[in-house]
Amino acid sequence: MSALTVNPLREGIANRLTPESCTLVIFGATGDLTHRKLIPALYNLAAEGALPPAVTIIGFARRKKTSEQFRKELEEATRKFSRTPLDEELWASFASSIHYHQSPFDETEGYRTLTDEMEKADRERGTGGNRLYYLAVAPDQFPVILGHLRKSGLNTASPGSWARVIVEKPFGKDLASAQKLNGLVSEVFPERDTYRIDHYLGKETAQNIMVMRFANSIFESIWDSNHIAHVQITAAEPLGVEGRAGYYDTSGAMRDMVQNHLLQLLTLTAMEPPTSLSAEAIRDEKVKVLRSLRPLRGDQVFNQVVRAQYTAGLISGQPVPGYREAEGVPKDSVTETYVALQVNIDNWRWAGVPFFIRTAKRMPKGGTEIAVTFKSVPRVLFNQSGEGLDENVLVIRIQPDEGVSLRMSAKMPGSSLRIEPVKMDFHYGTSFGKATPEAYERLLLDAMSGDATLFARRDEVEEAWAFVDGIEEAWKTRSDDLAFHTAGSWGPAEAADLAARHGVTWRRM
Amino acid sequence: MSFSPGISVPIGGIERELGKLWEESGDSKTRASLINLAIYNEKPGSLERNTEIIGGIAGEHAMRAILIQADPKAAGSSAEAWITMHCYLRDSKGGSVCSEQISFKLAGDAARSLQSVVFSHLDSDLPLALWWQADFRPPVDGKLWRWVDRLLFDSRHWKNPSDQFDLIRRIAGLAEARTVLCDLNWARSLPVRQALAGIFDTPGTIPELRVIRELRMQHAPQHRTTALLLVGWLADRLGWKLSEPGQNPRFQDAQGGSVSVTLQESDGASVSSIGIASENAAFGLSRDAASDLYVTTAKGTSIPPSSRMVRAPREETREILLAELARGGRHPLYTRAVKAVQALWD
Repeated sequence: MSALTVNPLREGIANRLTPESCTLVIFGATGDLTHRKLIPALYNLAAEGALPPAVTIIGFARRKKTSEQFRKELEEATRKFSRTPLDEELWASFASSIHYHQSPFDETEGYRTLTDEMEKADRERGTGGNRLYYLAVAPDQFPVILGHLRKSGLNTASPGSWARVIVEKPFGKDLASAQKLNGLVSEVFPERDTYRIDHYLGKETAQNIMVMRFANSIFESIWDSNHIAHVQITAAEPLGVEGRAGYYDTSGAMRDMVQNHLLQLLTLTAMEPPTSLSAEAIRDEKVKVLRSLRPLRGDQVFNQVVRAQYTAGLISGQPVPGYREAEGVPKDSVTETYVALQVNIDNWRWAGVPFFIRTAKRMPKGGTEIAVTFKSVPRVLFNQSGEGLDENVLVIRIQPDEGVSLRMSAKMPGSSLRIEPVKMDFHYGTSFGKATPEAYERLLLDAMSGDATLFARRDEVEEAWAFVDGIEEAWKTRSDDLAFHTAGSWGPAEAADLAARHGVTWRRM
Repeated sequence: MSFSPGISVPIGGIERELGKLWEESGDSKTRASLINLAIYNEKPGSLERNTEIIGGIAGEHAMRAILIQADPKAAGSSAEAWITMHCYLRDSKGGSVCSEQISFKLAGDAARSLQSVVFSHLDSDLPLALWWQADFRPPVDGKLWRWVDRLLFDSRHWKNPSDQFDLIRRIAGLAEARTVLCDLNWARSLPVRQALAGIFDTPGTIPELRVIRELRMQHAPQHRTTALLLVGWLADRLGWKLSEPGQNPRFQDAQGGSVSVTLQESDGASVSSIGIASENAAFGLSRDAASDLYVTTAKGTSIPPSSRMVRAPREETREILLAELARGGRHPLYTRAVKAVQALWD
């Protein structure tokens, strides 16, 4: 037997890379993300034995509190937000690995004492010198934190160990700021150790897009402009800005949703088969899609993009105020809460196929889906008039009610020939009763395992911003294109017109 | 509470009667199926017991269930069938998801012709998992096993494990069969293997795996095969060769060192305690009676003392079956684990 460097007992236990012991330092540990997502995810991983036992969590934040107080707060949050009920004994076992480190982000001393704590964890818990830094803070805090990590030498690992950083979105607010941010991160951590989280990629159904396309021969052979008429990608939510007005009004739907989540879904839908399942091979193909997006500039933007704001209306029968009436939103805000755009991918596979992307707040119903509409059958036999025969539509539902459905035509029973659409429906929840893990569980394990497949690479982020910037630039030149729609409606008439110009109607979700 | 296999139907009209059942249930019920799960048992009353099991798992793993209670030694030939559905509420609007169940009571010739009587009622294009709740008997019938994608059994119940392992190896080796062997006893040991593997995720502990000198295991009565499978797994993963068979065997490790193994019966979980002593450290895993947690410990000359808890699933048939169905894939480590302790089965 050769020298053991990996745990031989792990083979065959789980079909994934094994996460490695490390110290996880969460900057912004008193924030919402830590309480609602990160700690509940880590608790569930620990409870299932998926987290290496030595993993040590250090919450780094400015507020004064003891580790005991911090654990108590996290316990309450986990009780509320965990997908599995909190077990007192399990929590006690898990919580013993959590420590609070109080320090301003800009004080060198705080990083020196952090070093001491991490070295102590290496000695006492066996974290092996591995470091995972999670920047759960606003981007304006990145420079100071990254600068101090470098100054303290915490960005480099000792031989045989690693130091990685997880960066939360938004990755900038435009291409220039994203480049600056990426430049800043890359001065401190190499790209291979930088993990940019887009939690949409951690969702089971987003991961299933590749499986569906490349593990089923029936789809890939018709996945091109010869067979597909158009594609609609929609992310709708009934919620308004809900206390995020300060951020949202400077961002808008384009930056908040399209630049990251929806363009990521677009790349998964349109990418070529990667040469392997490695992170680089997959991300190479995704970035090619972004590079193939036909840029939108000047007047093209006003032809192909509709922006709108919701006004007061009804959601689930309850009156809700308009966007400009929300607390913290300027009365003359022109920030879009609705955006619909038609984009083209200029490559061999997708030439001539319009892709429609739509996202909005205060929609009647929430949900994210990708709908692929196939071309109609020839105007012979059952389709001589070209009317009345619905196209085949394949819908991949990302959330909620994750699943896939296929609409096809069938003959109604009877002596006359009447053709009606029928739907074949696959629901994850119906077929697989097992609860799916939260996206953050998967993503945290991947970062500890060194698997960057489900994280955005620098060039992906920057290509996406380059595309979005063209639209934002055009919007800055005028604001009279801003449309309005009533909260609880499916969007403005202008969006319907945009689709209609391509002979398309927006899907009713 | 008794569990009925449902409405009695003529064997020739099973599909028609199932169709009627769906028509009568209206639009609120959705049929779902991932697999055909057939369960074969030769004991009276098994249809009711297995109906209860299916009722417990169908909500999490949609299927067409085919239950068979057979009496192959009976004279003549008789066959009876029943159908039912297991439905679970899916949403707040009252919609439910349903799995179908077809039950057969077969005797004599009918019980010896499973493939013609039973397997003509499979949901086509879906894999067939056959849970064999009886002893395997020679001769191995290739015509039967070629239908089976996954063969489920529980080696814990075997009175003669050596012969039974030999027979399932022959089934898996049939040229015309692609059957995956799924020992529920192996599935039962998975949480223990996971928890034990977790101890050695810490870099400092890995070298100790090369210098293990003693392995102690406490198992529940009638779970010696579960414990032996775990010993076989460790032996295979760590390159141990059996050097002294017996109740408490010895192995030789890859460096020529000796490893003593002690298996003790103790009430409680199937495997309630494992102690591993290496040259420089001691590792432990324990599960108290009625507890749903494993506690693992590690301590050594260069390993800081540590302890942690992880969830231990209930060791009920429902949980084990669901875990096995959810995992899928082949189990190459199982075959190797069985081989590593082959001489210890009797």
